[in-house]
Amino acid sequence: MTALTVQELTGGYAAADHVVKGVSFTVASGELVCVIGPNGAGKSTVLKLLTGLLRPRAGQVALDGRDITGQSPRVVIEAGMVLVPQERNVFGTLSVEENLAMGCFLDPGRAKARMTAVMDRFPLLAERRRQAARTMSGGQRQILAMGQALMSEPRVLLLDEPTAGLSPKAATDLFALVRATAETGVAVLMVEQNALQAMQISDRALVLVDGRNAHEGPAPALARDPAIRRLFLGGRGEGRMDATGTNRETSP
Amino acid sequence: MIEALLQALINGVIAGTILAVPALGFTAIFAVLNYPNFAIGALATVGAYAGWVGNTVFGLPMLGALPLAFGVAGLAGLAVQSLAVKPLEASGALMMAIASLAAGLVLENILRFGFGNDLRGFELPLLRDWRIGEFRIGPQQLENFGLALACMALLWAFLRFSRTGRAMRAVADNRDLALLRGVDPVRVALVTVIVGAGLAGMGGMLVGLDTSVDPLTGTRLVLSIFAAAVLGGLGSIPGAVAGAIAIGMAEELSVIVFNPAYRLVVGFVVILIVLTLRPAGLFGTRAS
Ligand SMILES: Nc1ncnc2c1ncn2[C@@H]1O[C@H](COP(=O)(O)OP(=O)(O)OP(=O)(O)O)[C@@H](O)[C@H]1O
Ligand SMILES: [Mg+2]
Repeated sequence: MTALTVQELTGGYAAADHVVKGVSFTVASGELVCVIGPNGAGKSTVLKLLTGLLRPRAGQVALDGRDITGQSPRVVIEAGMVLVPQERNVFGTLSVEENLAMGCFLDPGRAKARMTAVMDRFPLLAERRRQAARTMSGGQRQILAMGQALMSEPRVLLLDEPTAGLSPKAATDLFALVRATAETGVAVLMVEQNALQAMQISDRALVLVDGRNAHEGPAPALARDPAIRRLFLGGRGEGRMDATGTNRETSP
Repeated sequence: MIEALLQALINGVIAGTILAVPALGFTAIFAVLNYPNFAIGALATVGAYAGWVGNTVFGLPMLGALPLAFGVAGLAGLAVQSLAVKPLEASGALMMAIASLAAGLVLENILRFGFGNDLRGFELPLLRDWRIGEFRIGPQQLENFGLALACMALLWAFLRFSRTGRAMRAVADNRDLALLRGVDPVRVALVTVIVGAGLAGMGGMLVGLDTSVDPLTGTRLVLSIFAAAVLGGLGSIPGAVAGAIAIGMAEELSVIVFNPAYRLVVGFVVILIVLTLRPAGLFGTRAS
């Protein structure tokens, strides 16, 4: 069943209003969709337009069939969608426990039960419940950020580069957690720079270039497509992309 | 000499603990609203007069007058915020700071108009100082110290255990993320202004208890409050407490060495040194 439907989403910032120029996609419950594309393609901006941090200029966002286009973060959370942003995605001065409580800010009555559930799922967070978030490693912080987002029991989870800055081992572990979260029935949309690995665990992939859909399809097929590999993945498939969508290692 | 030094340290810790109350208000407002509210001195004076009226007119004990000081100063702070500061929000922190400075002058002169320039004293029983060996401590001094500690304990419990207090810390830490988790930043800002100004009011009353109340009671503290907050790291709660105690001790010690008229210089020198060597302060995480 389709959980999130986005049609012709358009918008940007006060200073740069033409960033996202018409992006469409859907994510079904239990599905993991990854979004890849060069730096500056507008991936993070799409997520901000979806969650009420920015107001779209045109297009439509529907969650479980309900139109939530341009709604405030509060309405978006209550409708069941939550974002783990790209940077600074935990409250560094708050403890692990308090960070989780903030994930359930709008529904404090349920905080206790959900905290138990999240800590059961991520035992690391239970061990460090009183520790300040800023004293944790990058990988631990990403898990906390995901735990915080899951505290609202979302139907749709949006992740912005969850493995940025992580060691290969920590990234692999985190991808496994993301996959497992999708298996519980949550619709997951994940923006990733680590394109090849992300496509390997995803059901479908969406390639964004210059604020528009460029390619879309089942992730394994897209990962094998020589055109995509050449354009976005580089020689060994791990290269990062520059603003033109070509790989730095292979371009002259 | 060594006795004089120790006596100064005792006085300094007590004065610093009282100074910490308005310094916490100042730093809380800075942490959430990102501008230094220089009306803090006048707001402390408002609290001092409110407490004094409660005590001398309504016969309230100190424990009853203190919440009154909090409430009246909190409302005055809200007025300063919505009438003077908020309209200039888009112009940046410097404009907001200047607006608060101007609003503070207006408040000070409203008080002068209403109460005159006379020194007002609380109705306190006259008690003889306690002597412990060579040292003297006034019972009233000790009571003020205890009341200041109680204010801080209440603030700590509010920030630590209440949902609103936690939201305040979340906004101070990471505004965008707090927004994404459903916190209403406007509401949090209003609560912070009331609590911050209220703390200033209680601090002003405690200082008034120690000395007397006049239209400049709080204004005289502004430099020390600012120095305490800068030393501890603007926006840091434990920093404001540590900074205030350090400033309190430094001011008392300076009186031994220099002419008391130079006491004010301590704040200036500390601000200058901190901003030059370590702009983030002792506990701060961000350079201001
Ligand atoms: N706060 C902002 N104000 C104005 N322009 C912005 C802002 N944030 C991003 N932009 C611009 O919007 C465009 C898209 O940025 P966005 O962050 O969405 O890219 P991205 O695809 O997420 O890139 P990355 O892979 O580097 O995270 C860029 O040109 C960027 O300069
Ligand atoms: Mg991004």
